[in-house]
Amino acid sequence: MDAEEVAALIKDHADEIKIVNDRCLFATTDRQRYRGAMLALKTQDVQHISTITGVDRGETVEVTYHFDCRPAELNLKINLPKNELRIPTITDIFPGAVLYERDLMEMLGVKVEGHPDPRRLFLPDDWPEGEHPLRKEWREKAK
Amino acid sequence: MTFIVPIGPQHPAVKEPEFFRFEVKGEEIVNVDIRLGYAHRGIEEALARRNYKHNVYLIERICGICNVAHTTTYCQTIEQLAGVEPPERAKYIRTIILEFERIHSHLLWLGVAAHQIGFDTLFMLAWRDRERVMDLRELISGNRVTSATNTIGGVRRDVKPEHVPTILRGLDELERSTKYYIDVFSSDRTILARCANVGVLTKDDARKFCAVGPLARASGLKVDLRKDYPYATYDKLSFDVVTEREGDVWAKGMVRLKETLESIRIVRQALKELPNGPLRTKITLEIPPNETIERTEAPRGELFFYALSNGTDKPERVRVREPTYANMSSMKPMFVGGTVAEIPIVMWGIDPCFSCNDRVALVDSGSGKASTLTLEELRRWRR
Repeated sequence: MDAEEVAALIKDHADEIKIVNDRCLFATTDRQRYRGAMLALKTQDVQHISTITGVDRGETVEVTYHFDCRPAELNLKINLPKNELRIPTITDIFPGAVLYERDLMEMLGVKVEGHPDPRRLFLPDDWPEGEHPLRKEWREKAK
Repeated sequence: MTFIVPIGPQHPAVKEPEFFRFEVKGEEIVNVDIRLGYAHRGIEEALARRNYKHNVYLIERICGICNVAHTTTYCQTIEQLAGVEPPERAKYIRTIILEFERIHSHLLWLGVAAHQIGFDTLFMLAWRDRERVMDLRELISGNRVTSATNTIGGVRRDVKPEHVPTILRGLDELERSTKYYIDVFSSDRTILARCANVGVLTKDDARKFCAVGPLARASGLKVDLRKDYPYATYDKLSFDVVTEREGDVWAKGMVRLKETLESIRIVRQALKELPNGPLRTKITLEIPPNETIERTEAPRGELFFYALSNGTDKPERVRVREPTYANMSSMKPMFVGGTVAEIPIVMWGIDPCFSCNDRVALVDSGSGKASTLTLEELRRWRR
């Protein structure tokens, strides 16, 4: 699907759809609708998730799911307020996301609910609980 | 009754630090868990604290083997962020050094694969021929490994006309030897006995676990970002995407060897069509708030970058997801059901690069099943 087709597919499940070019688009969704968007992608045989990116935007943590829709890459964002950093897992829809969600949990402290294996991913065993190295608070502390 | 066989973190088949915990029943592997992170250097955070120019050098050091793939992807990402287009000649030179990198990476794979199965003569031969492409890399960039050729807006080093005959001669030699290795790989009894039907990744599993690169192509998925998502000058050059159907270690090797021939073809075309012109476009490093993604086909598969700028000369966030990370999820189906003796070659089959991987590292639990199983669960699972 090219970017226009992807945009048409997810238009009910997302806002602020920004088509950068025919092979790249960004869209913002929310906790209620993101699964709908992903299930819609799945009906069009989108199976490849490139990765999940977490960005600390100050008040919120922005979680971006990057899907390969061949050729277009859909970047689907969800903003999570820092006092409610929880998101249900997507591994039931995209099993390939299992590691990226663990990465997200440990680096940004987003709790992925229902994850089949929520162990620490790559930080050392003696890394303190509740410290998330990609959070801005951590950067301030580490200075 | 199962036993745990710990392998690593020192020298787990490849000379890089990772820890593998194999659960075996007799000779048979019934489960695998991987503990990564031993080479974690916090590079994503470090990138956000340095300016865009410094980051080129940091990115180059994520991984030695695929340093050009990393810098090309990074530079393309930042060029997109800033809305700058590099000159045509720079794109061709990028294509040439990217393909040199693929050739050397695949020949390195062949050598180590031969070593893993005890075929050290082939190891020596493959690495002898790999030296030819290393010499060509040195000819262009001044360095055998870390090329330091890419920069934001173009390239720093030119392919001079007097280099061209030497490169073409080198490519002829490489083509001859690669064809010989394809012949050896498809007929030698040792290779067939150790690689065929070993470490199989089915097409469905490859798709399910989002496998990338030669691993996916060896399982029959026709994915290659040089075709699917063209960058540099790949849309102007003709080459084939190599796939095999078997999904075993043999297919993974065959895909890499045939790709080496395609890479040679690409470099020849690029040299022939190399346009004249400047090498780089000037760029202002205070990039206004913007975000973008970029994907390229590194020797090991899809390399993904996301970058977010904030108006200063430092990025707000750079996310790197390199191919070994993506391929880790596919490890479990390849190991389970195999034997202990197959571990080194199956592990090497994905061509893992742990230093790439660990810049943000991970532990794998494959399909998401609990990694510590009770005996009862294990029995049920075995059926």
